[in-house]
Amino acid sequence: MKAASFEHHEPTTVEEAVSLLESLDEPTILAGGQSLVPMLRFRLARPDTVIDINGIDSLEYLHEEDGYLRIGALARHADVEDTDVIADRYGSFADAAPLIADPQIRNQGTVVGSMAQADPKGDWGSVLIAHDGEVTARGPDGERTIPVDELFLLPYDTSLMDDELLTEARVPAPVEGEGSAYHKLKRKTGDYAMAGVAARLVLDDDGRIEDAGIGMTAVDITNARAADAEAHLEGERPSADLFEEAGELAAEASNPESDEHGDAGYKERMVDVLTQRALGDAAERAGAVKRRVPQ
Amino acid sequence: MTDKREITLTVNGTERTVEAEPRKLLVHAIREDLDLTGTHIGCDTGNCGACTVLKDGEPIKSCLTFAVQADGSEIMTVEGMEDLPEASGELHPLQEGFREEHGLQCGYCTPGMIMSGKALLDETPDPEEDEIREAISGNLCRCTGYQNIVKSIEYAADELNKEPAAADGGTVTAEQRFADDDFDCGVEDCCGGPSTETPHVEGADPQFDDVGGDDT
Repeated sequence: MKAASFEHHEPTTVEEAVSLLESLDEPTILAGGQSLVPMLRFRLARPDTVIDINGIDSLEYLHEEDGYLRIGALARHADVEDTDVIADRYGSFADAAPLIADPQIRNQGTVVGSMAQADPKGDWGSVLIAHDGEVTARGPDGERTIPVDELFLLPYDTSLMDDELLTEARVPAPVEGEGSAYHKLKRKTGDYAMAGVAARLVLDDDGRIEDAGIGMTAVDITNARAADAEAHLEGERPSADLFEEAGELAAEASNPESDEHGDAGYKERMVDVLTQRALGDAAERAGAVKRRVPQ
Repeated sequence: MTDKREITLTVNGTERTVEAEPRKLLVHAIREDLDLTGTHIGCDTGNCGACTVLKDGEPIKSCLTFAVQADGSEIMTVEGMEDLPEASGELHPLQEGFREEHGLQCGYCTPGMIMSGKALLDETPDPEEDEIREAISGNLCRCTGYQNIVKSIEYAADELNKEPAAADGGTVTAEQRFADDDFDCGVEDCCGGPSTETPHVEGADPQFDDVGGDDT
């Protein structure tokens, strides 16, 4: 048998899961399992108990509601690929989903599980940063909202308490004049990102950038925000020159490590390039191109 | 060791129960408990896709799932392919395709490739080449260079699209097809196909002639 033995619990409600989290000794939560199952089977993790949340039907949703795109804890990466509202209105989500792992893994792995895993090479953290997203955690004392910037602490470490379950990730529904995109550099299908950038732009009636969000993948100890680049964009008109400046600021804000895929300097340049490309797509989807051409 | 529990799986249309510890991987339950060794373990790390099975119609890697997680679900493995109506009791067109187009050499990846191909053709009966490549992007092959695997799946798509449609729009079952006396499946000694008893006619098919075939 590959994995060390563990007790398996299958709650069917969030309340039940939370009370198990409270009463059991250091349990691990199993959702899609595409990161956890390998960790268990190689015995990198040896929890005594596993709380399998796949039977909690109330966490299986992915839809727009009350001004947010809401992603329940059991929505799979493949669900993001297959949801019409995402294809129509959430460019960054539609870009990112098919770039994750491979089809089999996307059928199992979950968006929210990826957030809880807090791998700095995970894609969804960057997308949520660009959208100023947040997550819901349920604990014994009820629900609390955690802005994505306060969720990731260190690689594989979040600000979630031991007795809290991540139930939802959400981002505000796009407003008029908003566009977003995600660009990712990886060596081949199935690999994690060498670098990735999510960008979101909101243009005002005058065609100026009213709001900008940029999240970066795999170039720091957590998914990271390029705050200086965002600030540089706001109030300006979209242009190739402006995006070049933002790309340089994002590269400066990144802190990649050299590895077998490339040295730190190369990855910084890739952050620069990916930022420009993501901003270009976001601007186009926000309607910038149409605005520049006189009617 | 934790207690074993009973897990019910509908495997290739038949309900099966397995007594397994929660830590048992689905691929081990399939191979060791159900003795269906067509599903392979390749890399054992979730990369190669040799262990791909369909769970409720969707391809997953059975080495990245515990058997308990599949409790109550429908599992399809490569062994189930020849039982599908479109196989007509013979090889399924996908399996036929891998044979016709030389889609395998060592054959280790083939069961996973076939299951990924099956999932694709269920969703997209007439896929473009890039859709085929995307569908098998989670399956590694170290022999073929993939080109012939793509051709094999294209072959199956063509064959399946040739299948006569039943009046209700569904696929014609074997019984319905064989009810028609004039039907010819093309296989020797079957459904009115050429008989092995038929005398050889020189020139009818050059590959069987004394002179011809590759020389012509």
